[in-house]
Amino acid sequence: MTIRHRSVLRTVAAVAAGLVALAACGGPAPDRGGDGAVSGEISLLTPIFEGADGAAVLEEQLAAFKQQYPDVTVKPDYTSYGKLNEKLTTSIASGQPYDVMLMGAGWIPPFASKGVLADLGQDPASLGSRFFERAVDAGVHEGKVYALPIMMDTRIGIYRKDLFAQAGITEPPKNFAEMREYGKRLTQRAPDGTLQVAGLDVLGIDPRQAFLTMLWAAGGELFAPDGSPAFNSPAGVNALQTMTDVIQVDRSEDVGWTVPNSPTGNVMAQGRTAMMVGHHHFWTQIQEEAPDMIAQDKLGFFVIQDERPAMFQGGTLATVAAQSKHPAAAKALAGFLASDGPALAANQQRGNIPALKSLESSEFVQQNKAIQFAMQNFDAAHSEGGVPQWLDIRDKFKPAIESAMLGQKSPQQALDDLAAEATAALAGR
Amino acid sequence: MAVPTTAPPAARAAAGAQRRQRPLGHERRRAAYLMLAPAVVHLAWWIGIPTVATFVLAFTRYDILAGTMAWAGLDNFVAIFRDPVWWKAIGNTVVYTFFTVPVAMAIAVVIAVLLNTKLRARAWYRTAVFMPHITATVAIALVWMWMFEPNIGLFNWVLSWFGVRGPAWTSDPAWAMSSVILMSIWKGIGLKMVIYLAALQGIPHDLYEAAEIDGAGPVRRFFAITLPLLGPATFFVLVVSLIDSFQVFEQFYVLTPEGGPANSTTVMTYEIYKSAFQRFDMSTASAQSVVLFAFLLVLTIVGRRFTGRDDVA
Repeated sequence: MTIRHRSVLRTVAAVAAGLVALAACGGPAPDRGGDGAVSGEISLLTPIFEGADGAAVLEEQLAAFKQQYPDVTVKPDYTSYGKLNEKLTTSIASGQPYDVMLMGAGWIPPFASKGVLADLGQDPASLGSRFFERAVDAGVHEGKVYALPIMMDTRIGIYRKDLFAQAGITEPPKNFAEMREYGKRLTQRAPDGTLQVAGLDVLGIDPRQAFLTMLWAAGGELFAPDGSPAFNSPAGVNALQTMTDVIQVDRSEDVGWTVPNSPTGNVMAQGRTAMMVGHHHFWTQIQEEAPDMIAQDKLGFFVIQDERPAMFQGGTLATVAAQSKHPAAAKALAGFLASDGPALAANQQRGNIPALKSLESSEFVQQNKAIQFAMQNFDAAHSEGGVPQWLDIRDKFKPAIESAMLGQKSPQQALDDLAAEATAALAGR
Repeated sequence: MAVPTTAPPAARAAAGAQRRQRPLGHERRRAAYLMLAPAVVHLAWWIGIPTVATFVLAFTRYDILAGTMAWAGLDNFVAIFRDPVWWKAIGNTVVYTFFTVPVAMAIAVVIAVLLNTKLRARAWYRTAVFMPHITATVAIALVWMWMFEPNIGLFNWVLSWFGVRGPAWTSDPAWAMSSVILMSIWKGIGLKMVIYLAALQGIPHDLYEAAEIDGAGPVRRFFAITLPLLGPATFFVLVVSLIDSFQVFEQFYVLTPEGGPANSTTVMTYEIYKSAFQRFDMSTASAQSVVLFAFLLVLTIVGRRFTGRDDVA
């Protein structure tokens, strides 16, 4: 027997929060529709606009929104992507979700399929005339638009042109074999074996994102058309084997040489790596840490490729809660945040790729070669997710990939085990 | 019985004595309840109800996003014990406990004994040892993260003086758990030391004098007098430390995020957090919490057995 939307449920689950740090219960109610007026006090949950600088940017944009909609008051709640899940969980569980929630690409199907998000009533095709198609797709579930894109982010190959020239390498690698070969040639060690320059850094970003980039480049897919796991295919094994060999066989990098969001700064800016699978916003980091490198044009980009060119593409989108008491105001805010001014401000603040085509000509984009490069290669972009259980599955990737890269399991075994876990999650357990 | 204020002092004292001998009256009981009420309400609301709710949720399949709940019986428990990662988390928690609790206790005893002697700047040393306990764990973990950094961190820098190439402390599965244990021992010594210090000051000095007259040296005195008489304090520290170590979270969360390299440092609390807030699976998180609760209950009961009896007069 299944109980649905009972007050008792709400009470029981809400109080469970205390022990497992969750405030629980009550799922989304059907969209009440509101009074249709663009008015009321609405809440906004944002993992972007971080820090004091980010908050200042958003406050400025919200002031502009207030001028446009004087009867709407927005209460922003700032968080980070790391804490976003907690905020979403507790708000949805308590039956008081944020009216507008900014979330990542890949998050939309899980939330939309459970009725948490409101159908924004937009036509994907017409949105495609304003936004990049890749960005629109991330907000679409079963043909309906549940989110408006604000920004995109990509994982691409990044290299130091000067170090390539020193090693006599004239162009970026065109396949995995070349990547590995170049990595070995670019690696510099002291006489005692201490690593000084990593020839190929595959540890600098989230292992899942690095692996998926390689998987797609190897010609593989995350899920088969029927929704079953497909990442343990020969292409997937080839991708993970390549990453593992970079560490274990080629010794182009040592474990611990860098970590995602390294507290010690950007390895490329410090000249500690010659080539890497990285995030395009490294450009912004390097601009801050080593502006001379950009001035001297020492930074180059390439699309990771083997069987095909592939680029990991994520993003941040604006969604509206199905339970919002002021849906008209919430939809107005979501639309506003995805519009030119606010979207440009948000992208500038994070060094990301605007989802709006109109911003391609902006000074910000024109001065950022990493963003221009990513925009020119959207044809090669792939996104993670696609199944409603994605949030159950995605955190299982990191330990699986690391177990192979650290030599604890073979790539085939690691991916097969991961596929078994994913299959169980897809089956509902 | 009301006593007129005009009554002589002797009469008032007699009436007071009579009132003290009477069983609690309705008014006094009500006053007691009123004074207890805030604590009871707080306890019931924040501890009691969530505990009951957690037990309920552990036996259901609750979809927090869809807002549906169905009876699941023991399914959640079967599922978590079929999950190798949960077993790994239990194993890691036990390993962490095994290494942090006794080692930190041993070091704390030694430090407490040293700081119980007449020593210059003794207060300063006591403060220094206690300071990590009152500093935020996250702040400490961030500082240690820098010290563990393999390329520019303090530890590997010091090791390089001796020609030793230090490990990738928090990135290498062989070292990640050791790194957290090392930090936790350092952080945990302060409180244990203070408890031992208090216990040491309760040991009669004439015992030491008698032992000295009998020819016992400092080591013999420590093992024959100090250690046995620290028994109650040791058991108290042991029980508190065991429970604390099973609830450890922050240092793992900061030093080795996301369960560490290949889940080498995932612990029970982190798995509960992950189930609840990364997978939105509250039923599994509740089942895992019940298992953790069972562990802590057993440890508490065992601890009480050792310490003798409940703290009831």
